[in-house]
Amino acid sequence: MLLAAYVGYLGLGAAVLQALERPAEVQAAQHLLREHWELLTNHTCLQGLALQRLIEGIIQAYKSGITLQGNTTSLGRWDYSGSFFFSISAITTIGYGNLSPSTVVGRIFCIVFALFGIPLNLVLLNEIGQLMLLGVQHCAHRLEEVFHWQNKASFLMKTCALVTGLLLFLLLPPLLFSDKEGWSYEEGFYYSFITLSTIGFGDYVIGMNPDRTYPSWYKNVISLWILFGMAWLALVIKFCINILE
Amino acid sequence: RAMCSGKLQTALLVAGYFVYLLVGAAVFQALERTAERQEKMAAAQMKEAFLQNFTQLTVAEMEQFMKNLIEAIQNGVYPVGNESQFEESNWDFSNSFFFAGTVVSTIGYGTLHPKTVGGQIFCVFFALFGIPLNIVFLHRVGKMLSLLCKKLGKFLYEKGMRKKKIKFLTLLFFLATGILVFLCLPSVFFQITEGWSYSEGIYFAFITLSTIGFGDYVVGKQSDRKYFSYYRVLVAIWIIFGLAWIALLFNL
Repeated sequence: MLLAAYVGYLGLGAAVLQALERPAEVQAAQHLLREHWELLTNHTCLQGLALQRLIEGIIQAYKSGITLQGNTTSLGRWDYSGSFFFSISAITTIGYGNLSPSTVVGRIFCIVFALFGIPLNLVLLNEIGQLMLLGVQHCAHRLEEVFHWQNKASFLMKTCALVTGLLLFLLLPPLLFSDKEGWSYEEGFYYSFITLSTIGFGDYVIGMNPDRTYPSWYKNVISLWILFGMAWLALVIKFCINILE
Repeated sequence: RAMCSGKLQTALLVAGYFVYLLVGAAVFQALERTAERQEKMAAAQMKEAFLQNFTQLTVAEMEQFMKNLIEAIQNGVYPVGNESQFEESNWDFSNSFFFAGTVVSTIGYGTLHPKTVGGQIFCVFFALFGIPLNIVFLHRVGKMLSLLCKKLGKFLYEKGMRKKKIKFLTLLFFLATGILVFLCLPSVFFQITEGWSYSEGIYFAFITLSTIGFGDYVVGKQSDRKYFSYYRVLVAIWIIFGLAWIALLFNL
């Protein structure tokens, strides 16, 4: 039931943000497109100052998330899938930033959304983490019964869980990314860690390359990976903290 | 004796925390600076080449120029201004230190990020040890803050108030002063130093302290403004105490 509430919450946020941000984005894109073509028609008179202004205009557009490619601006990023992914990045506190609300209402909504979403996310991650721990302890008990190993079983299971988690969440996903995104393995690994630790620079974001086609299951699988990977990494970090304290 | 070792532990922790950030900043700087220099030169050359050819500009060339420009921007290099901007670097020590801070606090604005493979891998391991360190550090800071609350509680108890009422009042006090000191006052401060509107300041404060850190607003990044010398240190202190306050809030 917690999971249902979590997913429902994300969906709601996505819908609202899309409604708030899409119109502003379309407007800004049209404005930039007009400027772009105006400039081209006047290019014979292009001088240093005009070039400067052009560059500044492009930088400004880029910062608000619009890039010019060919005849049209890049596909709208506040479509439902993009907004959903944005909601995830907000309540998990990853906060990539490649997409961020530019309208005042969008921002206020973002704050309120995160205010309730972040605790919700923490509770869910805690639950998943506890389930993982229970699973590990259960396996350890089973091993103790079968092999009569006593203390060693717990240690063995914990290392096993660590290694499986490492493989599943940090070492194998970069292979998927290098296939679907064209990143190198190190880049994929860097992206995986930066995402799961919720740092989320936004220099690498999945599914943002306009030259590539992504299968329909891609973003959903990634969202699941983020959820479970974060829970796992949180457990690992809690473990490190216990050592430090 | 126990109190002495507790204080020593705290002192060591604080010292360790800052040493960790300093070392990280130095390493990031060393790894990223040369790559940045190369990017800058390439962007300047591109601009030069463009200017020489603009009389015969075609649509295709314009597209190519835009593409190159956007790539340069994505790498954090803005080809505006003149040669003097070669001297300023995104990876000077102050920026690298601030960057290291955004990594261990998991805020991760992203306006500055490592582009070399070495920098990225180092970043991963730096964060792996830095994040637990940061959390432990924030716990200690949080304990200091909660001591203040306990003192208030004691004061009220001696005045003869009931325990339940004390709990409620201290919680309210904690919440209210926190919102004032960490959200409202900084937004006013940013209005002056950054020229943002009040709502932009609140948005920035919230996004930062929740560690979401989109990076659409970052302090000290506007090239046409003058910041007084300890500006970012002040902001860092605000972030540390604000984060500790939020962490305490979650534990309550």
